[in-house]
Amino acid sequence: MSIAFFAAFFLAWQYSIVWFDIPRYILTPPSVIVTKGWADIDRLLYYTWITGVEVVLGYAVAVILALPLGLAIAFSSILRRTIYPFVVCVEMVPKIAFAPLFISWLGFGLLPKVIIVFLVCFFPIVLNAILAFSSLSEELSRFSVSTGASVWRTFVKVRLPAALPQCFVGFKYAAINATVGAAIAEFIGSDQGLGFYIQIVTGNMRPDLAFAGIFFLTILGLALFGLVTLAERLLIPWHISVRHQSR
Amino acid sequence: MNPLIELTGVQKVFGAGPGALHAFGPVDMKIEKGEFVSLLGPSGCGKSTLMLMIAGLLDATGGRIAIDGRTVVGPQTDIGIMFQDNTLVPWRTVRGNIELQLELRGLSTAAHRASVDELLASVHLEDFQRRYPHELSGGMQQRAAFCQALVHQPATMLLDEPLGKLDAMTREAIRTDLQALWIQRHPTVVFVTHSIEEAIQLSTHVAIITPRPGRVERIISVDLPYPRDFEVKSSPQFIGYVRQAQEIFRGYGVL
Repeated sequence: MSIAFFAAFFLAWQYSIVWFDIPRYILTPPSVIVTKGWADIDRLLYYTWITGVEVVLGYAVAVILALPLGLAIAFSSILRRTIYPFVVCVEMVPKIAFAPLFISWLGFGLLPKVIIVFLVCFFPIVLNAILAFSSLSEELSRFSVSTGASVWRTFVKVRLPAALPQCFVGFKYAAINATVGAAIAEFIGSDQGLGFYIQIVTGNMRPDLAFAGIFFLTILGLALFGLVTLAERLLIPWHISVRHQSR
Repeated sequence: MNPLIELTGVQKVFGAGPGALHAFGPVDMKIEKGEFVSLLGPSGCGKSTLMLMIAGLLDATGGRIAIDGRTVVGPQTDIGIMFQDNTLVPWRTVRGNIELQLELRGLSTAAHRASVDELLASVHLEDFQRRYPHELSGGMQQRAAFCQALVHQPATMLLDEPLGKLDAMTREAIRTDLQALWIQRHPTVVFVTHSIEEAIQLSTHVAIITPRPGRVERIISVDLPYPRDFEVKSSPQFIGYVRQAQEIFRGYGVL
Protein backbone atom coordinates (compact mmCIF):
# COMPACT_ATOMS: atom_id res chain seq x y z
CA MET A 1 0.00 0.00 0.00
CA SER A 2 2.65 2.49 1.05
CA ILE A 3 4.75 1.61 -2.02
CA ALA A 4 1.74 2.32 -4.24
CA PHE A 5 1.35 5.68 -2.54
CA PHE A 6 4.99 6.58 -3.17
CA ALA A 7 4.65 5.57 -6.80
CA ALA A 8 1.49 7.64 -7.20
CA PHE A 9 3.23 10.65 -5.65
CA PHE A 10 6.20 10.50 -8.05
CA LEU A 11 3.97 9.85 -11.06
CA ALA A 12 1.82 12.87 -10.20
CA TRP A 13 4.99 14.94 -9.83
CA GLN A 14 6.39 13.71 -13.15
CA TYR A 15 3.24 14.37 -15.19
CA SER A 16 2.06 17.58 -13.53
CA ILE A 17 5.28 19.22 -14.77
CA VAL A 18 4.36 18.26 -18.30
CA TRP A 19 0.69 19.21 -17.94
CA PHE A 20 1.24 22.55 -16.28
CA ASP A 21 4.32 23.28 -18.38
CA ILE A 22 6.53 24.16 -15.41
CA PRO A 23 9.97 25.45 -16.48
CA ARG A 24 12.87 23.12 -15.71
CA TYR A 25 14.79 25.73 -13.72
CA ILE A 26 11.94 25.85 -11.17
CA LEU A 27 11.02 22.21 -10.80
CA THR A 28 12.34 19.11 -12.51
CA PRO A 29 10.54 15.79 -12.95
CA PRO A 30 11.81 12.80 -10.92
CA SER A 31 13.14 11.10 -14.05
CA VAL A 32 15.49 14.00 -14.72
CA ILE A 33 16.58 14.12 -11.08
CA VAL A 34 17.55 10.45 -11.30
CA THR A 35 19.55 10.79 -14.53
CA LYS A 36 21.27 14.07 -13.62
CA GLY A 37 21.89 12.91 -10.07
CA TRP A 38 23.38 9.68 -11.37
CA ALA A 39 25.75 11.68 -13.58
CA ASP A 40 27.00 13.50 -10.45
CA ILE A 41 26.91 10.42 -8.18
CA ASP A 42 30.59 10.54 -7.13
CA ARG A 43 30.27 14.00 -5.67
CA LEU A 44 26.90 13.18 -4.05
CA LEU A 45 28.24 10.03 -2.40
CA TYR A 46 31.36 11.80 -1.17
CA TYR A 47 29.29 14.63 0.32
CA THR A 48 26.88 12.14 1.87
CA TRP A 49 29.90 10.61 3.57
CA ILE A 50 31.06 14.07 4.79
CA THR A 51 27.64 15.01 6.16
CA GLY A 52 27.17 11.51 7.55
CA VAL A 53 30.36 11.81 9.61
CA GLU A 54 29.16 15.12 11.06
CA VAL A 55 25.77 13.65 11.90
CA VAL A 56 27.09 10.45 13.47
CA LEU A 57 29.81 12.20 15.50
CA GLY A 58 27.48 14.92 16.79
CA TYR A 59 24.78 12.39 17.60
CA ALA A 60 27.12 9.97 19.35
CA VAL A 61 28.69 12.69 21.50
CA ALA A 62 25.20 13.94 22.39
CA VAL A 63 24.11 10.47 23.53
CA ILE A 64 27.33 9.88 25.48
CA LEU A 65 27.09 13.19 27.36
CA ALA A 66 23.33 13.64 27.64
CA LEU A 67 22.45 10.28 29.13
CA PRO A 68 24.70 10.54 32.22
CA LEU A 69 23.66 14.16 32.72
CA GLY A 70 19.96 13.24 32.56
CA LEU A 71 20.62 10.42 35.00
CA ALA A 72 22.48 12.73 37.37
CA ILE A 73 19.74 15.37 37.28
CA ALA A 74 17.06 12.73 37.87
CA PHE A 75 18.79 11.42 40.99
CA SER A 76 20.27 14.55 42.51
CA SER A 77 17.94 17.09 44.08
CA ILE A 78 20.75 19.65 44.04
CA LEU A 79 21.31 19.28 40.29
CA ARG A 80 17.55 19.30 39.81
CA ARG A 81 17.36 22.71 41.42
CA THR A 82 20.48 24.15 39.76
CA ILE A 83 21.25 22.66 36.36
CA TYR A 84 17.77 21.52 35.39
CA PRO A 85 16.16 25.00 35.06
CA PHE A 86 19.22 26.04 33.07
CA VAL A 87 18.87 23.07 30.74
CA VAL A 88 15.19 23.82 30.20
CA CYS A 89 15.96 27.47 29.38
CA VAL A 90 18.74 26.56 26.97
CA GLU A 91 16.39 24.08 25.31
CA MET A 92 14.17 27.04 24.43
CA VAL A 93 17.04 28.80 22.64
CA PRO A 94 17.00 27.99 18.92
CA LYS A 95 20.35 26.20 18.68
CA ILE A 96 20.55 26.77 14.95
CA ALA A 97 20.92 30.49 15.65
CA PHE A 98 24.36 29.74 17.08
CA ALA A 99 25.56 28.22 13.82
CA PRO A 100 27.05 31.42 12.32
CA LEU A 101 28.87 32.12 15.58
CA PHE A 102 30.42 28.68 15.77
CA ILE A 103 31.53 28.94 12.18
CA SER A 104 33.10 32.34 12.79
CA TRP A 105 34.87 30.98 15.86
CA LEU A 106 35.94 27.60 14.54
CA GLY A 107 36.12 27.96 10.78
CA PHE A 108 34.66 25.95 7.90
CA GLY A 109 35.84 22.53 9.09
CA LEU A 110 34.23 19.51 10.68
CA LEU A 111 34.17 20.73 14.28
CA PRO A 112 31.53 23.50 14.13
CA LYS A 113 29.13 21.15 12.29
CA VAL A 114 29.63 18.40 14.85
CA ILE A 115 28.97 20.93 17.61
CA ILE A 116 25.74 22.11 16.01
CA VAL A 117 24.50 18.55 15.44
CA PHE A 118 25.47 17.84 19.04
CA LEU A 119 23.51 20.85 20.32
CA VAL A 120 20.42 19.96 18.34
CA CYS A 121 20.51 16.36 19.62
CA PHE A 122 21.68 16.94 23.17
CA PHE A 123 18.62 18.57 24.74
CA PRO A 124 15.87 16.19 23.66
CA ILE A 125 18.01 13.33 24.96
CA VAL A 126 18.69 15.04 28.32
CA LEU A 127 15.08 16.03 28.89
CA ASN A 128 13.74 12.59 28.03
CA ALA A 129 16.42 10.90 30.13
CA ILE A 130 15.45 13.03 33.14
CA LEU A 131 11.82 12.09 32.63
CA ALA A 132 12.78 8.44 32.11
CA PHE A 133 14.88 8.08 35.22
CA SER A 134 12.53 9.97 37.52
CA SER A 135 9.29 8.23 36.68
CA LEU A 136 9.66 4.76 38.16
CA SER A 137 6.31 3.70 39.59
CA GLU A 138 5.91 4.01 43.33
CA GLU A 139 5.14 0.31 43.57
CA LEU A 140 8.31 -0.75 41.80
CA SER A 141 10.48 1.55 43.83
CA ARG A 142 8.87 0.33 47.07
CA PHE A 143 9.26 -3.25 45.92
CA SER A 144 12.97 -2.69 45.24
CA VAL A 145 13.46 -1.06 48.63
CA SER A 146 11.67 -3.91 50.37
CA THR A 147 14.17 -6.40 48.98
CA GLY A 148 17.05 -4.52 50.56
CA ALA A 149 18.82 -4.37 47.19
CA SER A 150 21.71 -1.94 46.80
CA VAL A 151 21.28 1.24 44.77
CA TRP A 152 23.43 -0.21 42.00
CA ARG A 153 21.59 -3.52 41.83
CA THR A 154 18.24 -1.73 41.79
CA PHE A 155 19.51 0.48 39.01
CA VAL A 156 20.69 -2.37 36.81
CA LYS A 157 17.73 -4.68 37.39
CA VAL A 158 14.83 -2.24 37.68
CA ARG A 159 15.49 1.44 37.04
CA LEU A 160 17.53 1.17 33.86
CA PRO A 161 15.26 -1.23 31.96
CA ALA A 162 12.20 0.70 33.13
CA ALA A 163 13.73 3.95 31.83
CA LEU A 164 14.80 2.72 28.39
CA PRO A 165 11.49 3.28 26.52
CA GLN A 166 11.37 6.97 27.47
CA CYS A 167 15.09 7.35 26.67
CA PHE A 168 14.39 6.06 23.19
CA VAL A 169 11.79 8.78 22.68
CA GLY A 170 14.66 11.24 23.08
CA PHE A 171 17.04 9.21 20.91
CA LYS A 172 14.52 9.10 18.07
CA TYR A 173 13.62 12.76 18.27
CA ALA A 174 17.33 13.63 18.23
CA ALA A 175 17.91 11.33 15.26
CA ILE A 176 15.26 13.19 13.28
CA ASN A 177 16.86 16.54 14.09
CA ALA A 178 20.45 15.52 13.50
CA THR A 179 20.47 15.84 9.69
CA VAL A 180 18.59 19.13 9.90
CA GLY A 181 21.34 20.52 12.14
CA ALA A 182 24.08 19.29 9.83
CA ALA A 183 22.44 20.65 6.68
CA ILE A 184 21.85 24.10 8.15
CA ALA A 185 25.37 24.27 9.54
CA GLU A 186 26.65 23.52 6.06
CA PHE A 187 24.38 26.14 4.48
CA ILE A 188 25.92 28.77 6.68
CA GLY A 189 29.55 28.05 6.13
CA SER A 190 31.10 25.07 4.43
CA ASP A 191 33.06 23.97 1.41
CA GLN A 192 31.76 20.41 1.34
CA GLY A 193 28.84 18.24 2.42
CA LEU A 194 25.26 17.86 1.21
CA GLY A 195 24.08 21.19 2.66
CA PHE A 196 26.87 22.94 0.82
CA TYR A 197 26.04 21.02 -2.36
CA ILE A 198 22.33 21.90 -2.23
CA GLN A 199 23.14 25.57 -1.77
CA ILE A 200 25.64 25.71 -4.64
CA VAL A 201 23.52 23.85 -7.21
CA THR A 202 20.44 25.91 -6.31
CA GLY A 203 22.51 29.03 -6.96
CA ASN A 204 23.39 27.55 -10.34
CA MET A 205 19.69 27.09 -11.24
CA ARG A 206 19.94 23.33 -10.93
CA PRO A 207 16.87 22.21 -8.95
CA ASP A 208 17.41 18.70 -10.33
CA LEU A 209 20.71 18.36 -8.46
CA ALA A 210 19.27 20.12 -5.37
CA PHE A 211 16.59 17.42 -5.24
CA ALA A 212 19.25 14.75 -5.64
CA GLY A 213 21.05 16.30 -2.65
CA ILE A 214 17.84 16.38 -0.63
CA PHE A 215 17.28 12.76 -1.53
CA PHE A 216 20.64 11.74 -0.10
CA LEU A 217 20.05 13.86 3.03
CA THR A 218 16.78 12.03 3.49
CA ILE A 219 18.49 8.67 3.07
CA LEU A 220 21.03 9.74 5.68
CA GLY A 221 18.29 10.74 8.12
CA LEU A 222 16.37 7.52 7.48
CA ALA A 223 19.52 5.46 8.02
CA LEU A 224 20.21 7.05 11.40
CA PHE A 225 16.58 6.75 12.44
CA GLY A 226 16.56 3.15 11.23
CA LEU A 227 19.63 2.32 13.31
CA VAL A 228 18.06 3.84 16.43
CA THR A 229 14.83 1.96 15.78
CA LEU A 230 16.79 -1.26 15.33
CA ALA A 231 18.57 -0.66 18.63
CA GLU A 232 15.21 -0.04 20.24
CA ARG A 233 13.82 -3.31 18.95
CA LEU A 234 16.85 -5.20 20.20
CA LEU A 235 16.97 -3.53 23.61
CA ILE A 236 13.29 -3.23 24.50
CA PRO A 237 11.43 -5.85 22.45
CA TRP A 238 9.00 -6.13 25.36
CA HIS A 239 7.82 -2.53 25.17
CA ILE A 240 4.33 -1.79 23.90
CA SER A 241 5.49 0.61 21.15
CA VAL A 242 7.81 -2.03 19.72
CA ARG A 243 5.24 -4.80 20.05
CA HIS A 244 2.75 -2.79 18.04
CA GLN A 245 5.23 -2.10 15.26
CA SER A 246 6.18 -5.73 14.80
CA ARG A 247 2.65 -7.00 14.80
CA MET B 1 5.50 -14.77 74.31
CA ASN B 2 5.48 -11.46 72.49
CA PRO B 3 3.12 -11.04 69.57
CA LEU B 4 4.85 -11.05 66.19
CA ILE B 5 3.49 -7.70 65.07
CA GLU B 6 2.52 -5.18 67.71
CA LEU B 7 0.97 -1.78 67.00
CA THR B 8 0.83 0.71 69.85
CA GLY B 9 -0.97 4.01 69.28
CA VAL B 10 -0.01 3.98 65.60
CA GLN B 11 -1.34 6.90 63.61
CA LYS B 12 -0.70 8.69 60.35
CA VAL B 13 -1.31 12.34 59.55
CA PHE B 14 -0.52 13.68 56.08
CA GLY B 15 0.65 17.28 56.02
CA ALA B 16 0.65 19.67 58.96
CA GLY B 17 -1.30 22.61 60.34
CA PRO B 18 -4.95 23.30 59.55
CA GLY B 19 -4.68 21.52 56.17
CA ALA B 20 -3.44 18.30 57.73
CA LEU B 21 -5.29 15.11 56.84
CA HIS B 22 -5.73 12.68 59.70
CA ALA B 23 -5.59 9.47 57.71
CA PHE B 24 -5.31 6.76 60.29
CA GLY B 25 -5.34 5.79 63.94
CA PRO B 26 -4.47 5.81 66.70
CA VAL B 27 -4.60 2.02 66.57
CA ASP B 28 -3.47 -0.70 68.97
CA MET B 29 -3.29 -4.21 67.65
CA LYS B 30 -1.46 -7.48 68.18
CA ILE B 31 -0.86 -10.10 65.52
CA GLU B 32 0.45 -13.47 66.59
CA LYS B 33 2.78 -15.68 64.60
CA GLY B 34 0.99 -17.76 61.97
CA GLU B 35 -2.21 -15.76 62.05
CA PHE B 36 -3.99 -14.63 58.92
CA VAL B 37 -5.32 -11.18 59.76
CA SER B 38 -7.47 -9.17 57.38
CA LEU B 39 -7.71 -5.42 57.56
CA LEU B 40 -11.26 -4.96 56.35
CA GLY B 41 -12.62 -1.52 55.62
CA PRO B 42 -14.06 0.85 53.03
CA SER B 43 -11.74 2.51 50.54
CA GLY B 44 -9.91 5.52 51.90
CA CYS B 45 -9.92 4.24 55.49
CA GLY B 46 -6.15 4.02 55.61
CA LYS B 47 -5.75 0.25 55.64
CA SER B 48 -3.18 0.36 52.84
CA THR B 49 -1.40 3.15 54.70
CA LEU B 50 -1.19 0.91 57.76
CA MET B 51 0.23 -1.92 55.67
CA LEU B 52 2.91 0.35 54.24
CA MET B 53 3.77 1.52 57.76
CA ILE B 54 4.15 -2.07 58.97
CA ALA B 55 6.43 -2.70 56.00
CA GLY B 56 8.52 0.30 57.04
CA LEU B 57 7.90 1.94 53.66
CA LEU B 58 5.96 4.81 55.22
CA ASP B 59 6.76 6.47 58.54
CA ALA B 60 4.07 6.53 61.20
CA THR B 61 3.33 10.02 62.52
CA GLY B 62 2.89 8.67 66.03
CA GLY B 63 3.02 5.43 68.01
CA ARG B 64 5.20 2.39 67.68
CA ILE B 65 5.23 -0.62 65.36
CA ALA B 66 7.27 -3.63 66.41
CA ILE B 67 7.93 -6.85 64.53
CA ASP B 68 9.33 -9.68 66.61
CA GLY B 69 10.07 -7.23 69.40
CA ARG B 70 12.10 -4.88 67.19
CA THR B 71 10.75 -1.41 66.45
CA VAL B 72 10.18 -0.78 62.75
CA VAL B 73 12.31 2.16 61.68
CA GLY B 74 13.17 1.57 58.04
CA PRO B 75 12.05 -0.73 55.21
CA GLN B 76 11.61 -4.32 56.38
CA THR B 77 13.47 -6.67 54.07
CA ASP B 78 12.55 -10.07 55.51
CA ILE B 79 8.88 -9.93 54.59
CA GLY B 80 6.94 -10.57 51.40
CA ILE B 81 4.82 -7.73 50.07
CA MET B 82 2.19 -7.62 47.39
CA PHE B 83 1.11 -4.16 46.33
CA GLN B 84 -2.22 -3.01 44.93
CA ASP B 85 -0.67 -2.65 41.50
CA ASN B 86 1.47 -5.68 40.90
CA THR B 87 5.22 -5.32 40.61
CA LEU B 88 5.67 -7.51 37.56
CA VAL B 89 8.07 -5.83 35.16
CA PRO B 90 7.19 -5.98 31.44
CA TRP B 91 10.72 -6.91 30.32
CA ARG B 92 10.80 -10.22 32.17
CA THR B 93 8.85 -13.43 31.76
CA VAL B 94 6.73 -14.84 34.56
CA ARG B 95 9.67 -16.89 35.75
CA GLY B 96 12.04 -13.95 35.32
CA ASN B 97 9.75 -11.79 37.42
CA ILE B 98 9.70 -14.32 40.22
CA GLU B 99 13.47 -14.57 40.00
CA LEU B 100 13.73 -10.76 40.15
CA GLN B 101 12.86 -10.99 43.85
CA LEU B 102 15.73 -13.45 44.34
CA GLU B 103 18.18 -11.46 42.23
CA LEU B 104 17.45 -8.19 44.03
CA ARG B 105 18.14 -10.01 47.29
CA GLY B 106 21.36 -11.45 45.94
CA LEU B 107 20.02 -15.01 46.20
CA SER B 108 20.98 -17.68 43.71
CA THR B 109 18.31 -18.41 41.11
CA ALA B 110 19.88 -21.80 40.42
CA ALA B 111 19.52 -22.85 44.04
CA HIS B 112 15.85 -21.85 44.01
CA ARG B 113 14.94 -23.48 40.72
CA ALA B 114 12.98 -26.28 42.35
CA SER B 115 11.10 -24.00 44.72
CA VAL B 116 10.13 -21.67 41.85
CA ASP B 117 8.85 -24.70 39.93
CA GLU B 118 6.84 -25.75 42.95
CA LEU B 119 5.37 -22.27 43.42
CA LEU B 120 4.43 -22.01 39.74
CA ALA B 121 2.71 -25.37 39.92
CA SER B 122 0.82 -24.41 43.07
CA VAL B 123 -0.84 -21.51 41.22
CA HIS B 124 -1.20 -23.41 37.93
CA LEU B 125 1.24 -21.24 35.99
CA GLU B 126 3.82 -23.89 35.09
CA ASP B 127 2.84 -23.71 31.42
CA PHE B 128 3.07 -19.92 31.36
CA GLN B 129 6.46 -19.39 32.97
CA ARG B 130 8.05 -18.28 29.67
CA ARG B 131 5.25 -15.78 28.95
CA TYR B 132 5.47 -12.05 29.46
CA PRO B 133 3.03 -10.27 31.79
CA HIS B 134 1.15 -8.61 28.91
CA GLU B 135 0.38 -12.05 27.50
CA LEU B 136 -1.43 -13.07 30.68
CA SER B 137 -4.92 -12.40 31.98
CA GLY B 138 -5.33 -10.21 35.04
CA GLY B 139 -5.83 -13.25 37.22
CA MET B 140 -2.69 -14.96 35.94
CA GLN B 141 -0.73 -11.77 36.52
CA GLN B 142 -1.84 -11.68 40.14
CA ARG B 143 -0.91 -15.34 40.56
CA ALA B 144 2.54 -14.57 39.19
CA ALA B 145 2.82 -11.53 41.45
CA PHE B 146 1.88 -13.74 44.36
CA CYS B 147 4.74 -16.11 43.53
CA GLN B 148 7.07 -13.12 43.28
CA ALA B 149 6.11 -12.01 46.79
CA LEU B 150 6.50 -15.51 48.19
CA VAL B 151 9.57 -16.95 46.49
CA HIS B 152 12.08 -15.93 49.18
CA GLN B 153 9.91 -17.78 51.73
CA PRO B 154 9.14 -14.90 54.05
CA ALA B 155 7.69 -15.77 57.45
CA THR B 156 5.49 -12.67 57.25
CA MET B 157 3.48 -11.48 54.26
CA LEU B 158 1.71 -8.19 53.67
CA LEU B 159 -0.87 -8.34 50.91
CA ASP B 160 -2.53 -5.11 49.82
CA GLU B 161 -5.77 -5.92 48.01
CA PRO B 162 -4.05 -8.48 45.79
CA LEU B 163 -7.39 -9.53 44.29
CA GLY B 164 -8.94 -6.06 44.15
CA LYS B 165 -8.88 -5.59 40.40
CA LEU B 166 -10.11 -9.03 39.39
CA ASP B 167 -13.50 -10.26 38.35
CA ALA B 168 -15.55 -12.21 40.89
CA MET B 169 -14.93 -15.65 39.41
CA THR B 170 -11.17 -15.21 39.17
CA ARG B 171 -11.10 -13.83 42.71
CA GLU B 172 -12.81 -16.95 43.97
CA ALA B 173 -10.33 -19.24 42.23
CA ILE B 174 -7.23 -17.35 43.42
CA ARG B 175 -8.62 -17.15 46.96
CA THR B 176 -8.71 -20.92 47.02
CA ASP B 177 -5.08 -21.15 45.90
CA LEU B 178 -4.06 -18.50 48.39
CA GLN B 179 -5.73 -20.39 51.19
CA ALA B 180 -4.10 -23.66 50.15
CA LEU B 181 -0.68 -22.00 50.20
CA TRP B 182 -1.32 -20.49 53.61
CA ILE B 183 -2.45 -23.83 55.03
CA GLN B 184 0.66 -25.47 53.62
CA ARG B 185 3.29 -22.88 54.64
CA HIS B 186 1.58 -21.02 57.44
CA PRO B 187 3.18 -17.60 57.15
CA THR B 188 1.84 -14.72 59.21
CA VAL B 189 -0.35 -12.74 56.81
CA VAL B 190 -1.71 -9.21 56.95
CA PHE B 191 -4.30 -9.02 54.19
CA VAL B 192 -5.89 -5.74 53.13
CA THR B 193 -9.32 -6.07 51.55
CA HIS B 194 -12.69 -4.40 51.21
CA SER B 195 -14.55 -7.64 50.63
CA ILE B 196 -16.29 -8.91 53.76
CA GLU B 197 -16.73 -12.41 52.41
CA GLU B 198 -13.12 -12.63 51.31
CA ALA B 199 -11.87 -11.51 54.72
CA ILE B 200 -13.98 -14.03 56.58
CA GLN B 201 -13.20 -16.89 54.24
CA LEU B 202 -9.44 -16.48 54.51
CA SER B 203 -8.72 -15.07 57.94
CA THR B 204 -8.17 -16.30 61.43
CA HIS B 205 -8.94 -12.74 62.54
CA VAL B 206 -10.68 -9.86 60.81
CA ALA B 207 -9.90 -6.35 61.96
CA ILE B 208 -12.80 -4.08 61.08
CA ILE B 209 -11.46 -0.64 60.14
CA THR B 210 -13.76 2.38 60.34
CA PRO B 211 -14.02 5.08 57.66
CA ARG B 212 -11.39 7.85 57.82
CA PRO B 213 -9.65 8.39 60.12
CA GLY B 214 -9.36 4.61 60.24
CA ARG B 215 -9.49 2.89 63.60
CA VAL B 216 -9.89 -0.72 64.56
CA GLU B 217 -13.56 -0.93 65.50
CA ARG B 218 -13.48 -4.60 66.42
CA ILE B 219 -11.46 -7.73 65.81
CA ILE B 220 -13.59 -10.71 64.85
CA SER B 221 -11.98 -14.09 65.49
CA VAL B 222 -13.23 -16.42 62.80
CA ASP B 223 -13.60 -19.85 64.31
CA LEU B 224 -14.25 -22.00 61.27
CA PRO B 225 -12.30 -25.06 60.06
CA TYR B 226 -9.83 -24.85 57.14
CA PRO B 227 -9.97 -25.31 54.24
CA ARG B 228 -12.95 -23.02 54.00
CA ASP B 229 -14.46 -24.25 50.80
CA PHE B 230 -17.84 -23.77 49.23
CA GLU B 231 -19.46 -25.95 51.93
CA VAL B 232 -18.19 -23.78 54.76
CA LYS B 233 -19.17 -20.59 52.98
CA SER B 234 -22.80 -21.62 52.86
CA SER B 235 -22.85 -22.65 56.53
CA PRO B 236 -24.95 -20.62 58.99
CA GLN B 237 -21.82 -19.81 61.04
CA PHE B 238 -20.08 -18.27 58.03
CA ILE B 239 -23.14 -16.22 57.17
CA GLY B 240 -23.32 -15.16 60.80
CA TYR B 241 -19.80 -13.73 60.64
CA VAL B 242 -20.61 -11.91 57.40
CA ARG B 243 -23.73 -10.39 58.99
CA GLN B 244 -21.73 -9.31 62.02
CA ALA B 245 -19.31 -7.37 59.83
CA GLN B 246 -22.08 -5.96 57.67
CA GLU B 247 -23.87 -4.65 60.71
CA ILE B 248 -20.82 -2.70 61.87
CA PHE B 249 -20.38 -1.07 58.48
CA ARG B 250 -24.08 -0.31 58.28
CA GLY B 251 -23.70 1.50 61.60
CA TYR B 252 -21.12 3.73 59.91
CA GLY B 253 -23.32 4.36 56.93
CA VAL B 254 -20.92 2.58 54.59
CA LEU B 255 -23.36 -0.13 53.58
